[in-house]
Amino acid sequence: MGGGAWLLRRVLASIAIVVAVVTFIFILIHVAPGRPCTENLDPRVCEQLTRQFGLDKPIVVQYWRYLVQVVHGNLGVSYSLHRPVADALLETIPFTLQLAGAALMLDFLLGLALGIYQAGRVNRIPDVVLSNSTLFVYSLPTFWLALILLLVFGEKLRWFPVGGASDPIFCPVIDSFFCVVDRVWHLVLPSATLGLVGAAGTARFQRAAMLDVATQDYVRTARAKGVPERQIVMRHQLHNALLSFITRFGLAFPFLLTGAVLIETIFAWPGMGRLAFEAILTRDYPLVTATALIASTVVVAGNLLADILIGLADPRLRVHATTDADIVTA
Amino acid sequence: MLSAMPRCSFTSCFILLTLTTLSACERRGGCTGAGCGTLIDAAVSEPSTLLPPSSEDVTANDIDEQLFLKLADVGMSTNTVGDEDFQPLLAQKWEWDGPLTLVFHLDPRARWQDGTPVTAADVEFTFNAYTDSMVASPFRPKLRRVASVTQRDSLTAVFRFHEKYPEMFYDAVYHMRVLPAHLLRSVPRDQWRTAPFGRQPVGDGPYRFVRWQAAQSIELVADTNFFLGKPGIRRLIWRFTPSLPVAVQQVIADQADIREQLVTPDNVARAKAAPQLAVYTYRGNVYTYLCFNERTAGDTSKPNPIFADREVRRALTMAVDRASLVASALQDLGKVPPGPISSLVGIWDPDIRQLPYDTAQANRILNERGWRDHDGDGIRDKNGKPLEFHILVPTTSALRRQYARLLQEQFHAIGVRADIDELEASVVSQRTASGDFDTALLSRSNDPSPGSGITQSWTRDGLGGSNFGRYYNPEFEHLVDRAISANSRDQARALWKTALETLNADGAGIFLYSLENVGAVHKRVENVQFRPDSWAALLRTWRIPPDRLIDRDRVER
Amino acid sequence: MTLGNWLALVVALILAAEAVRALRHRALRRERWRRFFRHRTASWGLGILTFLVIVALAAPLVAPFDPNRQLDIVHLTNQPPSWTFLLGTDLLSRDVWSRAVYGGRISLGIGALGALVAVSLGTLVGALAGYYRRWIDAVLMRGVDVGLALPRIFILLMAVALWDGLPFTALVLAIGLTSWFGTSRLVRAEVLALRQRDFVVAARALGVGTSRVIFRHVLPNAAAPIIVSAALGVGNVLLLEASLSFLGIGIAPPEASWGNMIADGAPSIYTAPWSTLFPGLAIALVVMSLNAVADGVRDALDPREDGGVE
Repeated sequence: MGGGAWLLRRVLASIAIVVAVVTFIFILIHVAPGRPCTENLDPRVCEQLTRQFGLDKPIVVQYWRYLVQVVHGNLGVSYSLHRPVADALLETIPFTLQLAGAALMLDFLLGLALGIYQAGRVNRIPDVVLSNSTLFVYSLPTFWLALILLLVFGEKLRWFPVGGASDPIFCPVIDSFFCVVDRVWHLVLPSATLGLVGAAGTARFQRAAMLDVATQDYVRTARAKGVPERQIVMRHQLHNALLSFITRFGLAFPFLLTGAVLIETIFAWPGMGRLAFEAILTRDYPLVTATALIASTVVVAGNLLADILIGLADPRLRVHATTDADIVTA
Repeated sequence: MLSAMPRCSFTSCFILLTLTTLSACERRGGCTGAGCGTLIDAAVSEPSTLLPPSSEDVTANDIDEQLFLKLADVGMSTNTVGDEDFQPLLAQKWEWDGPLTLVFHLDPRARWQDGTPVTAADVEFTFNAYTDSMVASPFRPKLRRVASVTQRDSLTAVFRFHEKYPEMFYDAVYHMRVLPAHLLRSVPRDQWRTAPFGRQPVGDGPYRFVRWQAAQSIELVADTNFFLGKPGIRRLIWRFTPSLPVAVQQVIADQADIREQLVTPDNVARAKAAPQLAVYTYRGNVYTYLCFNERTAGDTSKPNPIFADREVRRALTMAVDRASLVASALQDLGKVPPGPISSLVGIWDPDIRQLPYDTAQANRILNERGWRDHDGDGIRDKNGKPLEFHILVPTTSALRRQYARLLQEQFHAIGVRADIDELEASVVSQRTASGDFDTALLSRSNDPSPGSGITQSWTRDGLGGSNFGRYYNPEFEHLVDRAISANSRDQARALWKTALETLNADGAGIFLYSLENVGAVHKRVENVQFRPDSWAALLRTWRIPPDRLIDRDRVER
Repeated sequence: MTLGNWLALVVALILAAEAVRALRHRALRRERWRRFFRHRTASWGLGILTFLVIVALAAPLVAPFDPNRQLDIVHLTNQPPSWTFLLGTDLLSRDVWSRAVYGGRISLGIGALGALVAVSLGTLVGALAGYYRRWIDAVLMRGVDVGLALPRIFILLMAVALWDGLPFTALVLAIGLTSWFGTSRLVRAEVLALRQRDFVVAARALGVGTSRVIFRHVLPNAAAPIIVSAALGVGNVLLLEASLSFLGIGIAPPEASWGNMIADGAPSIYTAPWSTLFPGLAIALVVMSLNAVADGVRDALDPREDGGVE
């Protein structure tokens, strides 16, 4: 099983998945009742829209036309926003990636740190306290946590801004280092909400994984041989931690892209989740389909990257890795 | 922890911190003196287009108020009869050339922001656009009575009407914002909604458009050469926060300066407690009601089995304790309206006869009409069909959602079952427009003149338009016509009173509340005036004294 | 809260404690259950869950008011907790405690039903994929990939938005139908490992029918991930229901569910935090307990485990 053949298979499978997702969404939209002509539009204008977008043709024809359109780079025009879909989506992507990136970073770093710390002090007081705390944070509804953080840190303490992605006066666009800092400052609360819950999960998982490894023979042998604790931790556990995190990342990513709609609404963060949500509710078919397309492409690409990294790091794992984390995020 | 990770040495961290602080410092200084000032409005809904005829969105209206001028506008009294209380804007003066002809003389100083002078050709073009069915402007029905608009010369526009009536001047000036013909003539009429001009408008008003960060903010800057006087505030920013509680939080945390409507008593209490905010009350222009669909849901050719019966509508209205509902949800921030009007409108009269709150009578009427609980399940029924219906509510209004639950309980008490359907605002619009609903909790904003609004919502003219419930009473329409064409204000009031009493007696809808608007503005702003029909209309007269400037006012960019 | 309500509550507490204690005694006989009860959090979790389930079942005895009754919309809205209203009243003057208790029935019911559908489907697919391998495995797992590429909320929103008036059971079904992907992967991994084991090979050599092999030999030994999935699944569905209600598409009023209580109370969170605080805590408590129990089960049934983790 050569590396090249494996890669090719994975890439083809990824493309197939994206096509399957878009087809599924397409069918779902067209099977459901309800017309795309929203608002009190003049019937003549509605007729025009129907003709312009070919909404009266059979579904297969529409599907084919859509695929052709997409291949040419045209994602259609949004019914509800009155703009090209590509424009609306592309504007949200940087924000979504910033939020997802920051949340994942917090998740990984904090979770790993906590997990390692706890595993080093098993069953002692700090471990027990942290275990219960992570369990609690992990069980909270995220939007609830968001409201609390916003109240405490945004309104009462005024340490962080109350919602928004940037200061509208100083930095409507990022044109200086100051504006980068401003964006990070606005990013803290929303990514903390997502990241904390994720970190709690990672910490729990890491702790368990490390204690698992700690009892295995090769670690015991190394310890018996007198290898410094630090080295054992670094070589084995960090390596595994990274691998399992990459797997979990692949599963958490879809959520961060389009599932974080509640966080984005509460914090007024102009990301893809909010856009997708509003598109669905206003039955803006072009926007919904395009969001599904972009989101699934990013997810699948992310998974592919993750699989490649894992495959490179540990050829034994070149199948779908399965972890308990699967149940948690899926 | 792990020695492999890089450690931020004291020096490098210190440098980083200093750099950040310094780069923040470079923003200080800048504008001082009068005419500075930046105001941020914590807005909730983002408009889809800023092209005036294509949008009915509240925020778009507020922003267009700063960008585009009308020929003249109502004054603080919001009196719409005659022309004495109107303020000249684009039109410097006007006169009547016969009973059906109105001539406007434009101010020669008016300029579009690209330098072109504003001419009567623009006025003529604007009228044609607003009344063009391809543009499908929601303002089109309001301009019905204007026969034509022509230009006599470059600064003289002539309006001709079909007939004489008291509010001719109001109709001529209030509904249209004059548009630049030279920039819009080339845009195909059926594409006005999606025209790029709507996202980068060029106007002739006190403010100029600067930028629109999608889903984040819209920025306007003052036109220092505005011919009616330089605006007091240099920069206006509308910042979009989809959640009303968070928008209120922004104002309270001093990250925004204006929240024009606080809506709930809780928000008002919090705003009053914030040290940097001043709270202003002004008459509201919105009323909310439960609309009965008198035709079958989904099929307008058949009468509705429940609501087509006048007695049943009356009974349902009498079953609702509207005063208690207002006390519960709004306390003193709302009133029970005596009809489909808000407290802004001059014909508001608490003496207008309405159906009383009387559950005993409601029960009796329902029994008489054959709706009894035959199968003992607690819900009335007739011919095997239970007395149950759906209430359509948009998810965007927490207040209306609260009201829906209150109403559900009130109906439950007399054996009527109401299910609540919470749907997205545009879906609610679509379903009410197409008649695919049983009842809906709707809010309508009033123009200062009751005439056009009531005609559109409760007469034959509104069928297929805003008369969603398809209510029709010829006697009511006759009274409305007479009231609109009445010669004196007193006569008009008396006629409106009788008309509304007829509407109420018919149980056309349950008129639930009219909001008293309470807005919060940062204390440093002076000369704050909220005109009740459009709060942002007088923004250009607000000022910040030079000794009260804060950081965001001074920023120079 | 009447005396009767308090009495019922205390009885529920005692019953739950006794149930856990009785289980513990029975469990001391078996190694695995001993391992489960060694975790204090796991036993506490089990106790709390039992208590909450008993309270939910005994709702009419424990709740003093009708959960949907608006007691006095002018004077009794947003009242703080007191002896009459144990957890206060909400914006519509309804007793929060009564609503929480009856809401527990609905929320826990949704959680259980949704998790049931998800775990059943996931186990079936995972078992088939793991047992038959090759192309069945490839097809099924690609399907799982497709399902994982879009988040649940997206699909559920579409289902709710596109079909107006989706009945509640259909929504729960939809939640279950979109939550099985992770379970299937886990079960597949377990089945893949198990099918090489001696007892399975022996059974197949003896000519035992495939379904029998799967159901009577393989799956019982794959119990650990299945039970853990179920426990965590209930928690996930609870959180999902809360999110959907917050977005306005959960359980329709006037029925209470913990999710829609949070949604209804959110606008008054600054002046009357109890209407959002308590249902939120209830959800957190249930999910915590479920997680603790799942941890315990995982450790108890995991054959690799021979040293204590906590």
